[in-house]
Amino acid sequence: MSLIRASTQAFRQTIDLRTAVRALSSEVKAPVESRTETAEVAIPTKDVLTAEVLSGAPTELRHRPVRIYQPARNTMQSGGAKMERWRIDFDILQGGGRWENPLMGWASSADYMQGTRVSFKSKEDAIHFAEKQGWDYYVQPPPTKKIPPKNYAENYVYKPNKLRIARTK
Amino acid sequence: MLRLVSTASRPASSGRLSRVVCSNCVSTGRRTFASSSALRADITLTVDGKEVTVPQGSALIQACEAAGSPVPRFCYHDRLAIAGNCRMCLVEVERSPKPVASCAMPAMPGAKVFTNTPLVHEAREGVMEFLLANHPLDCPICDQGGECDLQDQSMRYGSDRSRFHEITGKRAVEDKDLGPLVKTSMNRCIQCTRCVRFANEVAGVEELGTTGRGNDLQIGMYVEKTMDSELSGNIVDLCPVGALTSKPYAFHARPWELKNTESIDVLDAVGSNIRVDSRGVQVMRIQPRTNDDVNEEWISDKTRYAYDGLKFQRLTTPLVKQGDRFVSASWHDAFTAIVSGLASSGAKGDEIQAIAGHLADTESLVALKDFTNRLGSDNTALDQAGGYAPPVAGVDVRSNYLFNSTIPGVEQADVILLVGTNPRHEAAVLNSRIRKSWLHTGLEVGLIGERADTTYGYDYLGQDAKALADFVAGKGEFAKKFQAAKKPLIIVGSAISEHADGPAVYNALAKFVEKNKSRLVTPEWNGFSVLQRVASRAAAYEIGFVPTKKAAAVKPKFIYLLNADEVDPKSIPKDAFVVYQGHHGDLGASLADVCLPAAAYTEKSTTWVNTEGRTQLGRAAVPPPGASREDWKIVRALSEVVGSPLPYDDVVTLRDRMWEISPTLVRYDTTEPTSVDVALTGLKTLAAHTAGAKVTGVPFKKPVANFYQTDPISRASVTMAQTTRAFVNGERYGFSESEKSSQAAFA
Repeated sequence: MSLIRASTQAFRQTIDLRTAVRALSSEVKAPVESRTETAEVAIPTKDVLTAEVLSGAPTELRHRPVRIYQPARNTMQSGGAKMERWRIDFDILQGGGRWENPLMGWASSADYMQGTRVSFKSKEDAIHFAEKQGWDYYVQPPPTKKIPPKNYAENYVYKPNKLRIARTK
Repeated sequence: MLRLVSTASRPASSGRLSRVVCSNCVSTGRRTFASSSALRADITLTVDGKEVTVPQGSALIQACEAAGSPVPRFCYHDRLAIAGNCRMCLVEVERSPKPVASCAMPAMPGAKVFTNTPLVHEAREGVMEFLLANHPLDCPICDQGGECDLQDQSMRYGSDRSRFHEITGKRAVEDKDLGPLVKTSMNRCIQCTRCVRFANEVAGVEELGTTGRGNDLQIGMYVEKTMDSELSGNIVDLCPVGALTSKPYAFHARPWELKNTESIDVLDAVGSNIRVDSRGVQVMRIQPRTNDDVNEEWISDKTRYAYDGLKFQRLTTPLVKQGDRFVSASWHDAFTAIVSGLASSGAKGDEIQAIAGHLADTESLVALKDFTNRLGSDNTALDQAGGYAPPVAGVDVRSNYLFNSTIPGVEQADVILLVGTNPRHEAAVLNSRIRKSWLHTGLEVGLIGERADTTYGYDYLGQDAKALADFVAGKGEFAKKFQAAKKPLIIVGSAISEHADGPAVYNALAKFVEKNKSRLVTPEWNGFSVLQRVASRAAAYEIGFVPTKKAAAVKPKFIYLLNADEVDPKSIPKDAFVVYQGHHGDLGASLADVCLPAAAYTEKSTTWVNTEGRTQLGRAAVPPPGASREDWKIVRALSEVVGSPLPYDDVVTLRDRMWEISPTLVRYDTTEPTSVDVALTGLKTLAAHTAGAKVTGVPFKKPVANFYQTDPISRASVTMAQTTRAFVNGERYGFSESEKSSQAAFA
């Protein structure tokens, strides 16, 4: 049994628990999402009360896979703003995601989450939110950056052997 | 639905998922003693009152970045040499009489740097004013609008009015013609020379350069010539203004209209990380995504520009052949036709053959192999020359068919031997790494095979297996260099296993590697690497999608083509019932009795394994057109109609099955090195398996004749057809021929 299987089972358990909660009482408090500036945001150690118990969000939403990732920098631009944020967005719905409306040629959609994306300060915040909503999430790890130290003087370093580059700058 | 599975071996099933996810999110990759960075002294300086420690030899701009103070720049780029000619990155350094260009200034210990003082602002405003003096005000019609560095930075440092009132107007520069991919508008050029440095250092096009000085400086190819490089599209990204823009994308969309989806490229086996930009149901463009372990920041032109092939020649509805015509059918009818075809063909056991093509994703490969096996067949073949027989290198040991040195590892090699491969066309991005290493270290490259225009110099050893025998025997200058190397690397092309001399070559190499295992196979370094050239191959080997010897001898009566578009039509028996599953009406579909429309790589969230064995997860950007469906779902549905349903109903359980086959298939973004013992065992079995193979002496051929059209997507692409005409056939196609037109060509 792999971890994925284990996790789906874990989710089933939480769903059972949730229905139990719904039947029994309203005394169970949803954990308050802590929005501190530090990176060490507490990961919920106990089962979270998912949002749709109270919010009345449609149950289909619960089965939507989301991805948690840090959007890559646009290679067209050098600015690095908003790069630290973590984003949640939804995988497209097969079949109902988007189609071309025959009336005007615009894109129509049966997917009310297709335009939704949510930004978070940290990965933990995003995971916490996804768990609270009861979404299936996949965390895409950010690639490690490896930029060596660069030096203007390297342009003029003497190379002992045959020259391998003719700079045309 | 999918989660990162721990890189540790089987985790306790009771562990909470979130913890596993968090504790393993840092991508470890391969890290050995040798690949840790060289020991360097660190220096400490103060940037904007914040102490920061950077390695000695860093540029000041890197120290500012590290301190979290962004510095505006046009000419500086992380992956190019430093030019220092835009002067936008001026900062104030204490006790320095003038502002200094932070890209060209080394970071000094104890320096006090200020990036946000009135002096700095004024200096940058001055620079910006000069840049804008000659920059046309055509942002509304400029394709760079919305993602333009000059636009961005002028919001902060630009003035709202001009002090320059030249009678002659702004500088006018003639547009250059760089071919069908890159559009130029040289009036907008601010002469940052990023494109020139990229062409020089990375792409190996040494004709792109500058002429003139000062106000008359121009970028161009010196003579009227197109920029013939398989990486040329990257200069569009590098250009901080709209001087170089994408010709196929010109005036098609604005960046703020696009939905970005981070995905994986499948048009070669590198698995470049890409970002698919889509609007509505259309893919509008494909951009690279930075990943230092795979593609750095570059992608090849095929990756970038073949996307328009996704719009043409698509299969949108199931097709059933009636007589000599295809008639569109419902999914139900198509499946019924397959079931009756399977029954009427009388195929039993190994007579049922499945052939996996170049663009098949891992999920569908697993589903199809399970399905075929359930029908009692082991005849799972691959769509390549000799793909109907068990592969030479075998699939039992991963290191026999993977790029073991890893792609970043190529830069550590000091001698590289290429056997029967031209990485420039088989893995263009990898080739740029070899060039980088060749330029900056003393790397020596040797080539056995057909001569090719790589972008680096090489010692040519010969064209056939005899040249390899000479090399193994230690004859020749290059063999001596190879013997003296500390980290030698042998890159074996995927075409070798398709060649008549394949077994002999593998035999010679396996013995050679085993003999020199102290340098070629060590815990830190595995110098025997196989370069696959198609996206699905490594995954197919990984799950054992290869026929048994017994099955390979059987003449098939029922053939299932999964994205197989390179098959030899003669190899398909006349009376066989053929099913084609794929997204384009290419060769495979024309051979089929039933066509099942599937999703292309931008339309499904599936797993891809690159040539290093790195598993990466793609993501659907747009919905598949018409009635087409995800590949594995089609196989699953068919299995149910045939009467032996596969035991997975959703992608989670399917990935569970993949985990059972090979745990690496669900450990994303990492490469797992093969241990020395296992690798050596693999080589021993390889040598034993191929012992006594005869050498025919047929020269090795380059497997990729036309880089721009290698798969159904790029063959359906108009852009790629134009590129083929311009660069492969050498026609003067795509030129504006402005000298013949009656009016001057504006804009």
